[in-house]
Amino acid sequence: MKRGPFLLGALSGLTVVANADHVFARALADTPLPGLPGADNRVLLLINLQGGNDGLNCVVPHGDPTYYQVRQNIAVAPSDVLHIDARVGLNPRMTAFKKLYDKNMVAIVQGVGYPAPDHSHFRSTEIWQTAVPDRYEHTGWLGRYLDGANLPADNLFNAIALAQVLPEVLVAQKTDVPSVAALAGYGLVSDRNAAARRTYSELVADNRFPFQSPYLAHVAEIEDHAQRGSEELPKLIAGYTSDAAYPATPLGRSLALAAQIVGSRSGTRVLYIQHGSFDTHVSQRGTQDRLLGEFSDAIAAFYGDLAAHGNDTRVLTMTFSEFGRRIASNASGGTDHGEASPLFLIGGGVKGGLYGTTPDLGGVQTNMGNLKYTTDFRSVYATVIERWLGRPSAPVLFGNYPQIGGLIS
Amino acid sequence: MAAGLHRPTGQLDVTTALVPYAGPWNERAASHLMRRAGFGATPGELHRMLTRSMQQTVDDLIHFPPADASPPGELVDLQTLLAQGPLRGLDADTRRQRLMGFRMEERRSILALQHWWLNRMLVTPAPLQEKMTFLLHGHFTTAAIQKNVTPALIYQQNQLYRDNALGNLRDLTLVVSKDPAMLLYLDNARSSKAHPNENYARELMELFTLGRGNYSEEDVRQSARAFTGWTINRATQQFVQNPRLHDDGVKTFLGRTGNFDGSDIVTVIYQQPACSAFWATTLLNWFVYNDPEPQLVDAVAHLLEKNDYQLAPVLSVLLRSNVFFSERAYRALVKSPAEFVVGTYKAFGMPEIDPSAVRAMAQMGQVLFYPPNVAGWPGGAAWLTSQMMIARQNFVAGLVNSAAMQQSPWLSALPRSAGQAAGVLLQTILQGDVPQQSFAQLASYLDGSAESALGTLSPENFELRVRGGAYLAMAMPAYQLN
Repeated sequence: MKRGPFLLGALSGLTVVANADHVFARALADTPLPGLPGADNRVLLLINLQGGNDGLNCVVPHGDPTYYQVRQNIAVAPSDVLHIDARVGLNPRMTAFKKLYDKNMVAIVQGVGYPAPDHSHFRSTEIWQTAVPDRYEHTGWLGRYLDGANLPADNLFNAIALAQVLPEVLVAQKTDVPSVAALAGYGLVSDRNAAARRTYSELVADNRFPFQSPYLAHVAEIEDHAQRGSEELPKLIAGYTSDAAYPATPLGRSLALAAQIVGSRSGTRVLYIQHGSFDTHVSQRGTQDRLLGEFSDAIAAFYGDLAAHGNDTRVLTMTFSEFGRRIASNASGGTDHGEASPLFLIGGGVKGGLYGTTPDLGGVQTNMGNLKYTTDFRSVYATVIERWLGRPSAPVLFGNYPQIGGLIS
Repeated sequence: MAAGLHRPTGQLDVTTALVPYAGPWNERAASHLMRRAGFGATPGELHRMLTRSMQQTVDDLIHFPPADASPPGELVDLQTLLAQGPLRGLDADTRRQRLMGFRMEERRSILALQHWWLNRMLVTPAPLQEKMTFLLHGHFTTAAIQKNVTPALIYQQNQLYRDNALGNLRDLTLVVSKDPAMLLYLDNARSSKAHPNENYARELMELFTLGRGNYSEEDVRQSARAFTGWTINRATQQFVQNPRLHDDGVKTFLGRTGNFDGSDIVTVIYQQPACSAFWATTLLNWFVYNDPEPQLVDAVAHLLEKNDYQLAPVLSVLLRSNVFFSERAYRALVKSPAEFVVGTYKAFGMPEIDPSAVRAMAQMGQVLFYPPNVAGWPGGAAWLTSQMMIARQNFVAGLVNSAAMQQSPWLSALPRSAGQAAGVLLQTILQGDVPQQSFAQLASYLDGSAESALGTLSPENFELRVRGGAYLAMAMPAYQLN
């Protein structure tokens, strides 16, 4: 394993890596891969709108009379909708996001889902994150991308989950992705002085343990990442200054850190953030409107910050949610678990506008009160993998899915 | 490495797996038992166990005396809010202030409960009861404060798990189905014949008893009908069956047809072979090792059925079995934050957990009474992220540098010889589960000889070095493993 040389290099500060593999890996990292688009410094930011974002009160079909019939207690009044066209518009709290849309920075893909949808949060979240609906798969689609992408093997930060728990989408075979919920918590306390650090590196350099455990190698690797990562990350992202005003929300704080990472020398290509919970079985308007407002304000601040540092075209943001919600509202002013919903792509490379088929609520696109999908989410993933990350999508998605034309230039 | 649950390498011998273990009964075996059946053991507790046999020790774990578990002072319930007078007629600002005040009270209550439970895990004379309570809390999940689950109700639920910790799983499932916190958390309290809510019915089968693939969507709908009318009385906050909300029509559920109510549903569920397999897997994952072989699951499922889902006789077999004490099971689980924190206080032999441990545990990813979702804490490799590892090591650093360390009876009494001190540290904290040269490396750290060039340690600060040595031992890979 690769832990030995790291520990020597990072801990003693003396032995600056007399290790040929390491030097080679560094050199390789500085060399662009020829012939592939996306082999430069592009970043994909994935935002999980966790809990099941209700698509119909997010991208509101204000031109569809059925919407107002079946959602009397929670419908967004036509005059409140931020009109995109005569059929759909955005939730009234998404004014900042609407401005990005009007600048052609936002693509809305409508009616996204997958065959035989599962209504369980856990299973459907797993399906969106593994991109495998019909069997249990342990690796995530971005984990498989990372495993195959020839990114610098010695860089701990090729991908970072800005979350406390590593999401399934970043679970890989060969790549261990750090999760960093907040920079303040991502550091070993200072009393881990040089003496303790050195002894620690000696202690863990030996792996001849008098017992076996299916988790032993993983623990050792993670402990190494904890030590090395907490020392390296603050240095890598130091020196970044920004006067962007982010909203004082968890998403705002995460996106501020994301902008700093993008603007640093960490070489990060993939970021993950979670926002929610959108599981609005009761009193949906209060909760979902607030969450969408937080999303809209934070994303606007993020792209403002990125633009001020010349990074806005480097970052493609994509949202997803495990499912949309039931077409009709329930008696509690909420909606139950449903099926298809829209997702957003923002920023780098995106050609703004509406994609996919606008749902027809009274028509044939329904399945027992749920919206049938018209675009397979793996088509969106395939487009992002091929057009933005510059990798073949078939090995990542275990098959070929048609790309969405024009979505990413 | 992929997340999830991982099975140890090597072969299972299913024919001898559940036969009582006859190997050596020593510190290593006793520590293993207490890490699994409890939250670790103090050096004094281990010493006492070794004066008895393995069989007697397991008997003590199973047949524990009833223990007082009164709550930590007054807990906030709805009456606390109502006692302040009616909300009606108040202007919007006053009303908001009163509700905000109530929320603050709730949070204080929950913090007190979290701290209370951690200390209970530490000092209970019935560790297995508390360990099962902790399993059931993450299994039949309910989160406090959301959906009007007040601190008083979450304590009531916690006590219910404690009362049934080694009881009958079928009976427990029925009382959980009537538990006010559960009725609120999974929305059955608002389920009616006109609008059946499927949330509880689905999770009852998916996460609590059968697992996916062992029921149909139609079974979810039909059982949701059977549970309609199981709700809570708003004034007393306790379970009631409301006949006006109940659907008393005929339902067909898992192949049976009848005018079922919730208790019939539970009965039918516990007749399914998938149910015993589901619980066998749950118990094996919790006590023995992850992703157990189907043959081992079958053997334990058979044991559950034979004992009519009584936990005490099943755990009595499991905790003294060959497979439980096997090398394959040894250190084969990842410690949860609660096990890590409580186990650390146990290892030092300290009498009381500091309230700051609650916040430290949040950074490790576990907040008692707030499971991340209805599926509970995923466990296994999900506990192994660099962020969580940093939080674990920082917790230990904070603890070893606190004044409370003087309460550790053995740490301040360590031998002055660095070599002997290193031996005691690695034996007491890790049962010697380290590479052989760790002893010399730690001794060299303790006597400061390794650091002469850096000059950070001097022979005078023995105590500081001992604390640093304890910190280093607890940063070793084995210490993350149960």
